[in-house]
Amino acid sequence: MTAEWIRFWIIAVILILGLIAFILAVIGVNRFSFVMNRMHSAGVGDSLGLMIVIIAMIIFSGSVMTALKLALLVVFMWFTAPTATHFLSQIEFYTNKQLEDHVRMKKTLESGETAPAPEDAESRGREDGD
Amino acid sequence: MTSFEKWFYGETDVLNHAMDEAREPDSPDHARKERVKARLAEIRETEQYRERVENSRKEFRGLYLAVTAVGAIALIGVLLYVTACLPEYGAENPHTLEVITRYIEKGLEETGAVNIVSGIILDYRAFDTLGESHVLFTALICSMLLLRLDRKNMRSDHEDYYTVRTDKFFDLSADQIFRRVGAFLVPSIFIFGIYVVLNGQVSPGGGFSGGAILGAGLILFSASFGFEKVDRIFTRKVSSIITLCSLGFYSFAKGYVFFTGANGIENHIPKGTPGNILSGGMILPLDIAVGLVVGCTMFGFYSLFRRGSIGGNGAATGKSSK
Amino acid sequence: MTIDQAYSYLFFVALIVFGILMAVTLIRCIIGPSINDRILSINMIGTMVVCSIAILSGLLDESWLLDVALVYVMISFLAVIILASVYIREGRRKAAASDKETAGKKEEESV
Repeated sequence: MTAEWIRFWIIAVILILGLIAFILAVIGVNRFSFVMNRMHSAGVGDSLGLMIVIIAMIIFSGSVMTALKLALLVVFMWFTAPTATHFLSQIEFYTNKQLEDHVRMKKTLESGETAPAPEDAESRGREDGD
Repeated sequence: MTSFEKWFYGETDVLNHAMDEAREPDSPDHARKERVKARLAEIRETEQYRERVENSRKEFRGLYLAVTAVGAIALIGVLLYVTACLPEYGAENPHTLEVITRYIEKGLEETGAVNIVSGIILDYRAFDTLGESHVLFTALICSMLLLRLDRKNMRSDHEDYYTVRTDKFFDLSADQIFRRVGAFLVPSIFIFGIYVVLNGQVSPGGGFSGGAILGAGLILFSASFGFEKVDRIFTRKVSSIITLCSLGFYSFAKGYVFFTGANGIENHIPKGTPGNILSGGMILPLDIAVGLVVGCTMFGFYSLFRRGSIGGNGAATGKSSK
Repeated sequence: MTIDQAYSYLFFVALIVFGILMAVTLIRCIIGPSINDRILSINMIGTMVVCSIAILSGLLDESWLLDVALVYVMISFLAVIILASVYIREGRRKAAASDKETAGKKEEESV
């Protein structure tokens, strides 16, 4: 086997591993029963699947510029996907009334403790030298 | 506390309504206006007036519907007729035979842009792009007309009055994670947007897509750091100045090129070597102008829908924020 | 077969698999009983589109498609964030209003 074919098989194996990661993520999203569990498996797809596929494309690419752009893509995605998951979990926390059925929470919400205190937002605004 | 300290910490107001003439209760104009207002309110209460208003509204509604239907059907008919007159798809006509081949074969040497699409929209058909930029600007103005909240529509029993005032309570920018992520992402997005705008003639990109990216960066900035931070740099005046200067520059530059081209005079705009950034004649400055207009428009739409004003907090709260 | 044919087959298979996965995720977007499911599945479809664009740029040998992929990541992230902020704001406001109600009722009962 020449070096070209070895490179081809390496890329093929890594790409198929990435596809398997995505398939597992999608199966998880469809089969779990609660939203927070679905977010776990979606996160697998976002982080691991994307990284493996892009590594395969970095090995395939010919020039340095393309490889750098792909690496920037991965870094960008790794910054943004967990933040999106963070906000989706906040949606669930504030809108789902039956959250305590699914999730073990450390303190139950009494009246007056729903939102984080507004003093946080305003005091932080004042500290920032406005 | 001395009186200076009282003023410094906001407990007294030196210009205690001295600048606000409408609150002067004992000027003669004010009394007259109050009397007129009272009389008008009295008239509006009577039955006769209300009946007349209702009748005229019903008549006008009928006429309005009739005119609208006729106008819409006429417009549809005209457009369908014009579409039927066009040549068949793929048939031989001057457009497919001559125009397209000329654009593709001579696009590079006549415009100097490697990206033929940029060459077409900013050199061959720059007049259409001029119209497009003005359409964007007009859309922004119309949105401002419809959505802007100022003192006249902020009556005290209006529901959104309290919504806008206390919106800070439920603001997302108090989230520490989001601020850190935003601190990394926003400069990256701005640099990427500038890259796309400047490389309009070398690789796919150009003014419109780069402007959309800049607008998205501003939206992320306002979502992650709060609206006060954006209002420091992007007020309504800044938006107006940017759009005015960009569109004015576009009009004058393209006007000059049209004038010299139509009369056969030589316009001394260098073409440069294709593939560089400084190439393609006027494409680069026009790209920048279009990109700035589109960015301002994108952020303006978001800001108008979100809180009813582009820069500052409008007149929702009578005083400054907080 | 030649190397180029082999790469073409490999990338075609990968793109077809991504297409099927996107369709299946769309089913979850339609079924999902809460808003959270739908936003989540749209986010995932966006990630799969980005992967497809990266593979496509290798298949067609055009390097400018990666700029498109970067823009897509940004836009889908922004969409998820702004949608989430709308729902979080509504949820907090309703919770605070209902808490004011219950606090007011408790005061009435105690008085």
